[in-house]
Amino acid sequence: MSLQTPRILPSHLNAFHPSSAGRRSTHTIRILGTVSSLRGDTATITCGNNGDVTLILKPDSHLQMGKMIEVVGKVADLEGGQGLGVRVLGTTDWGNPADSDYRTYEQVVEATHRFKSIFYDGE
Amino acid sequence: MDGGYNSYGGGGGGGGGFMSGETSSPSGGRSENRDNKTLRPVTVKQIADATQPYPEAPFLIDNAEVNHVLFVGQVRNISSQSTNITYKIDDGTGEIEVKKWVDSATRDSMDTDEKGPGDGKSEVVLNGYARVFGAIKTFSNKRYVGAHSVRPLSNLDELHAHLLESTAVHLFFTQGPPGGAGAGGNAAGGDAVMGGADDYGGAGPNKALMGVSPLARKIYNLLKSETQDDAGMEMQHIASQTLFADYGCGAGWRGASERGYHFHDHERTHMGYS
Repeated sequence: MSLQTPRILPSHLNAFHPSSAGRRSTHTIRILGTVSSLRGDTATITCGNNGDVTLILKPDSHLQMGKMIEVVGKVADLEGGQGLGVRVLGTTDWGNPADSDYRTYEQVVEATHRFKSIFYDGE
Repeated sequence: MDGGYNSYGGGGGGGGGFMSGETSSPSGGRSENRDNKTLRPVTVKQIADATQPYPEAPFLIDNAEVNHVLFVGQVRNISSQSTNITYKIDDGTGEIEVKKWVDSATRDSMDTDEKGPGDGKSEVVLNGYARVFGAIKTFSNKRYVGAHSVRPLSNLDELHAHLLESTAVHLFFTQGPPGGAGAGGNAAGGDAVMGGADDYGGAGPNKALMGVSPLARKIYNLLKSETQDDAGMEMQHIASQTLFADYGCGAGWRGASERGYHFHDHERTHMGYS
């Protein structure tokens, strides 16, 4: 089976955490958001009206504030028990957030999990 | 094997290129119906999951024949050879190899809007997104897509719209056209009976056949609408009317039976509505 990276929103992080193992064939996900803060080896993206997600960056990650990015990464625990975040494997810069509609993405996430047979294997 | 490509090239074939051997591939002759000319939006996982009833047969996705598919994904690898460029495309649902043949005869005139050397703005780049249009093929048990077109995609909405479109088409083939029944059992439920789908009868049958495969639905409506004698209708006739080959009709038969909409049969070769 090739690698599958289902598209998710912050509310799905728990379901794709390694501790819910067995249920999922993958903990690697995709998530879309606007870069809202950069702090060296971590960053935060804002996912429309669905909250923020902390990213654990790679040394060669080059993010720019205010850009819409798509992240491929693994769901991971943040240091100091600060909840869940995403360890970045790769990012794609989609430019100005105003150029796309985040609500379309929300619909895609909804479809992905409701009609998962065409998107990913699991459970 | 890939006669289609050769015939573009022309060359000194001495006219043989247009004889039947070239143009009708093993599956071509019989399945030259409209269903085979579809261009369907799909996810990579659907291509990987597509089934083939027998070798050389057209691929089936959700039990519908597909030949040409359309999908978008991220380019994970590009390898250029003298005769083709092979891309590895990952759309988050899987990964698949895409081969675009380099046809020196048509490159100048037809490929001006894609991957033209030096045409920087329309080049497919590594880890960028691309939209692919092509046919599902197999080579030594490995599935790949023979691409007619691979072009870069730069609009995020286009990516998302494609995924939603693929879902909508998938639902059309698995649960029938919208309006008949609340697809996927959503809030509207079975009350959302809308007009429009004359092919599928009025509101009543639509409701009765909710969630039944389109093929079973087709047979149901055929049996209802056509006159027939006591023995019912011959399976061959149903097959010809519904444009499905016999194996497909058998499956539809079982689908209809399982739902309890099945009627009587006569020596397993006839079906009737009663």
